[in-house]
Parts: sequence; C-alpha cells; structure tokens
Amino acid sequence: MDAATAFIQLDLLEVVYLLVVGFIGGLVSGFIGSGGAFVLTPAMMSMDVPAIVAVASNMCHKFPKALVGAIKRARYGHVDVKLGIVIGVSAEAGVLYGAHLQESIKRAFGDAGSNLYVSLAFVVVLAVVGGYVLWDAIGAHRGAASQSEEKVSRLARCVQAVNIPYTMMYFRSLDARVSVLFTMPLGFATGMLASTIAVGGFIGVPGMHYLLGAPSLMASATELVVAFVMGLGGTIKYGWSGLVDVRLAMIILAGSLFGIQLGAIGTTYVRPHMIKVVMGTIMVLVLVSRALVIPVYLSDLGLIGTLGGGTARTLKGVSFGIMLFALATGAFIILAALQRGMRAQRRAEQAESGAVEPASVAGKAVPQLSPLGRFERVLLASDGSEFSAGAQREALRLAKRCNARIRAVTFVASDLEQEAMGEQVLKQELNTARAHLDRIAAQAAAAGVECETEVIQGSSVHEQILEECERFRADLVIVGRRGRGALARIMVGDTTLKLVGSAHCSVLVVPRTAEVHGRRFVVASDGSRFGDAAAVAAGSIAKRFDTQVTVVSVAVPSHPEARRKEAHGIVDRIVGLLRSDGVGAEGEVPVGLTADMILATAARASADLIIMGSRGRNRIERLLLGSNLERVLNRCQCAALVVKTA
Amino acid sequence: MTPFMADGDERKIVKTLALGFLSLLLYAALFLNEESVLQLSTLGGWYALVPVAIAFVFSVAHGAFTGHFWDVLGVKARK
Repeated sequence: MDAATAFIQLDLLEVVYLLVVGFIGGLVSGFIGSGGAFVLTPAMMSMDVPAIVAVASNMCHKFPKALVGAIKRARYGHVDVKLGIVIGVSAEAGVLYGAHLQESIKRAFGDAGSNLYVSLAFVVVLAVVGGYVLWDAIGAHRGAASQSEEKVSRLARCVQAVNIPYTMMYFRSLDARVSVLFTMPLGFATGMLASTIAVGGFIGVPGMHYLLGAPSLMASATELVVAFVMGLGGTIKYGWSGLVDVRLAMIILAGSLFGIQLGAIGTTYVRPHMIKVVMGTIMVLVLVSRALVIPVYLSDLGLIGTLGGGTARTLKGVSFGIMLFALATGAFIILAALQRGMRAQRRAEQAESGAVEPASVAGKAVPQLSPLGRFERVLLASDGSEFSAGAQREALRLAKRCNARIRAVTFVASDLEQEAMGEQVLKQELNTARAHLDRIAAQAAAAGVECETEVIQGSSVHEQILEECERFRADLVIVGRRGRGALARIMVGDTTLKLVGSAHCSVLVVPRTAEVHGRRFVVASDGSRFGDAAAVAAGSIAKRFDTQVTVVSVAVPSHPEARRKEAHGIVDRIVGLLRSDGVGAEGEVPVGLTADMILATAARASADLIIMGSRGRNRIERLLLGSNLERVLNRCQCAALVVKTA
Repeated sequence: MTPFMADGDERKIVKTLALGFLSLLLYAALFLNEESVLQLSTLGGWYALVPVAIAFVFSVAHGAFTGHFWDVLGVKARK
C-alpha cells in the first residue's frame, strides 16, 4: 500500500478534534491504565483516515503516552515494572495472534464479518468483565466508608497458592510469588483484546486485580507498562510497512499527555474502588454502543433481514456517540473525584495549620521563615540493633517533651532472595521484629507517650520508611547511626543518607551513645532559606528543652572580607530573631572548613544537638548531600537534626 | 530578601515556559517539514524507527512540560 498517498490533509478543526479526544483518552488512561483508544481509532476513521493507518497511528501515540503515565505513577509507588514487562511480553504474542486471526476472518467473511467479530468480542468481554467490575465497584462503593484497603479475591488467593516449580516469580504488587503459567495467558488475552478492540486493559487490569491479586491502583498503573510494551511493538510492526502517520500520532499525543498527567494525579486522591467505578461504567456504556451496531453487520452478512441505509447510518452514528459519551463520562467522574479530593486536602491542611500555633521566630521582617520545628508526629525507624538504641531513647524523650505521637517501625526484607530462604525464616524474622516493637511500645507506655507500631516489609528499606513517613504524615523521622571513623560513609549507613536526602520531613540522626538533654544546641546557617528553616526549628525545640542556642556561620579562609562580614550579618540576624522569640542565643563565625568548624563549635559548647537545614528531594541535591552535611552526620558525636524544606 | 515561595514559583514558571517553548519548537519542526518527515517515516523496514524516535523525543519534552504545567496551576498529587 502506498500509505503516504493515503495520509489525509489536516485542517484546524480536525487538529482541535484530535487534541480534545486525545486529552480525554489520556485522562482516562492515566487513571485506569487504558481506554481512549477505542474512541481514537474510530475518531480518526471518521476523518477518512484508512482503518489500518488509524490503528497504526493510535499505536504510535499509545506507547509514549503510556511511558509518561507509567513514569508519573511510578513516582506514586503504583507501578510493578516486573509484572508489567512479564505480561507485556506475552501480550505482544497475543497482539500478533489477534491481528492474524482478524485478517483470517476478514479474508473469509469480508469487512462485515471482521466488524461483526470485533463487535461480538466487545459485547462478550464487556458484558462479562465489565458487568463484574461494575458490580464489584458498586459493592465496594457502598462499603467504602468502612474499608479503605482492598481485599485479595478468593480466586487470586487460590492462584497465589499454586506452586509450579521453575515457573514461580515474585511480584511486588502482589507481594507474592505467582506462576508465569498464570501471567502468560492473561498477557496473551490482553494482547488479543488490544489487537481486536484496541483496549487490552479491559482484560489486563481486571485480570491483574481479580486473578493475580494486585491492588486495583497498582493494576491500573502496571497496565501502562503493558501498554508501553504493546504500543512499542505495534508501532514497529506497522511502521515496518510504512503505515504510521506520525503527524496524527503526535497531535493526539499532545492532548493525551496533558490528560494522562491529570489522570495519574487523580489516582492519588481517590479510594481504590474508584478505578473500578470508572472502568466498569465505561465498559458497560461501550457495551451498549457496540451492541447497537451488531444488527448492521448481521444485515450485511445476510444473517437477518436487510436494514435500510438510513437505519444503518443512524445506528452507527448513535453507537459512535455513545462511545464518546462513555469516554466523557469516565473523564467527568475522574475530574469530579480529583476536584473533591483536592478540596478535601485543602480543608485538612487549613484545619491543621489553624490548630497549631505558629512557631516562627521570623516576625514580619523575614517572611521566608515559615512555621517550622513542629514535632507532633514522630516516626521512629529502628532495626533493633545496638545502633538503634540511641534513636529509641531520644525518640521517647523528644516525644515526651513535645507531646508527640510516635509510630515505631521496623523493617523486614521480603524480596525474592528472602522469600527463597523459606517461609520459616521469614516468620521468625517477623516474630523478632514484632517482639522488638512490643518492647518499644512498653517503654513508650511507661514514659506516658502515645505509640503505635508497625512491621514494614519490602525490598528497599529507605523507600519503605519514606512511604511510612508520607502515610503517617510525620513531622520528624528518627534513625540511628552506625558509628564513626575512617569508613564513615559506610558506617553511617547508606539507608540513613538516602533517607536524609529524600525525606520530606526533618530527620534526626542519633549515634548510639548520644543523648539530647538540652545542654546546648548548635544551629548552622549559611544565610540561605535552608539555614533559616534550621534556625526556626532550633528556636522551637530549644524552647521545649529550655536551653540555649549557638548560631554558627562558617567563613571559609579563601572567602573575601565581604563574605566574612556577610557571615557575621547572618549570625547577628538569627541571634536577634531567636532572642526576640525568648530563646537565649549567641553567635560565632569561625574560619575554616565548614564541617570541621561546625563540629568543633559543637564540641567546644558541649552541645548535644546540631541542627542544620537541607532542601528537598531532587536528585542533584541528594548527590550534593555528600559535602558538609554528610561530613557532619558522619563525624558528629552528638545527635544531628536535618531540617527539611522544599 | 525575596520571599521563598515567590522565588520557587518563579523558577517553576520559567522552567515550564522553557519546556513549553521546546515542545512548541518540536511541533513546529514536525509540521514545517511535514512532507519529508512523512516520506521518511513511511519508507518501511528499519525506517520504522523514525516514528518511534520522534515519539520518544516528543514524549520527553512534551511529557515534562505537561507535568510542570499542572504543577504550576496548582494541580498536584496528594501529599
């Protein structure tokens, strides 16, 4: 086929049409992992794009869209890349077989036969799967007030219980090992459906959820990985025959990337059952749409009486209209849920900030000093080793001083390697962890501190702790330190450094023997907003401990005189602010290497806490953590508080 | 001293505008060279990689832009 000659000229109206449909399709895909494609292909065909070019161009917009969506949702921890790739590869085989089957049907029964096959596939799959998803969604919606966690279906529990040697794989989203003999048919069916009705996710997402036991949020996000694999394979396949109209694909992509970002954001505001509500609603509406055109194809094949041209056109028009309506309904539900969620969060934030007295020492003159130093929700991460002893002791002390709530967590690795060690070993580790947490809870109760405990499982310690911080909305996370010395970096522990680099909240690192009695605190500032944030926190915590603060701003020997004066200015400003807030403070501007001078000042002042500021979470900043902050964390003998700001 | 939030917001907006401009440039380049791009991408065989490469480049630039776009408008994921 000379595809290029079949490519249409685009006018502005058509471009806008594709952008809008692309946006809505992207919105739905970002939320439920698929969808949109069943409208995009007919939408392109309604513009006189040849069917094969429409399918090819749809594929070419699908994989970059799925890639962006998968990356976005991976940031929210929704994606199981391994499961997505395993299912995606078998889906690719399903796509090829599905396309071959469709070509065979077309050769034998013509266009009407092919269309009838597609419509019947739609109706059967959507009736069975869509009906069940919607029924389950309605049930979940009714019980949503009482249950926020999804239950693993009985079928999935049976599948997870089946052990077929040499075929078992561990999947993070399932937190279980499952035989690939279950994932392969699921992937194959997903691919076949994708090649037939362009939306493999209508089997893939419910399959991952009900058959394998993945939470619906993770199933919908993992489907984006499957869609990426299928879309990339499909683009290469059609591109090999020169059938991709890259202009159409990029126009749809322009709209759909706006949509997919929004859909992905929407998933962070909704309860998991909303995925099923949206998917079930769309599936049932599309079912009606496709059922309407079945008589047209039956008539074309001569299986029923001939329909008039007007009737056939009307049925096709109404069918396409219902498809658009299905997509728009899905988009509406998502946008409404997003708006509700954002409003609820704003209200919660307002209520929270209104309930807490601002602890700013800034006054009106320094508006960047926002309320900081609030330690009402403390997360204690302890591994039960001797190195965590300091962290446990100081967490209780701090919680008592600040009337804070503690959530004590300990970590048990549960990755493939650990699983391979056997169930007994894992059980033993879990029991040890629980016993350790029980001891902390008992100590907390004796100290009159409210404390809850949790054993967290996963493959990455710092990521799990970060997730716990977010879930608990911790103001502070307290961790131990392994020691100090020449092998400082190794000793301080990669996990602690990663945590300090990545946490949103402040991090208190406590060496084993360090105790925070409130003899004196040292706060280091370079005059940046991070230093100011540290000063605010220092003021707040010094009042709790009724102690004095030494403010340090280090002047490096190579700095010109003007910079030294600037350092004095910084110190004077912060000392003034702390004093005006009722905190005893004095300042120093030592000259030398920054980390050395901070440590020397702390030692001289017999300080039991060093407070420093650090910014948020981007990668470069995490790398830069290596300099002064890391040196202080590695070498200090007392506890060190890293105050985080955005 | 510049207030912290205003400073951060300004940086975000500049970054978003820069990414939007880059995205616009890419689309302009695609449609100004529409014929040659179509010709190249429809040659078949290994030329199938042309639309794949275009899609990757657009997804990086435009994907980053759209992410920042909603962020600047205040539509952010739940904390």
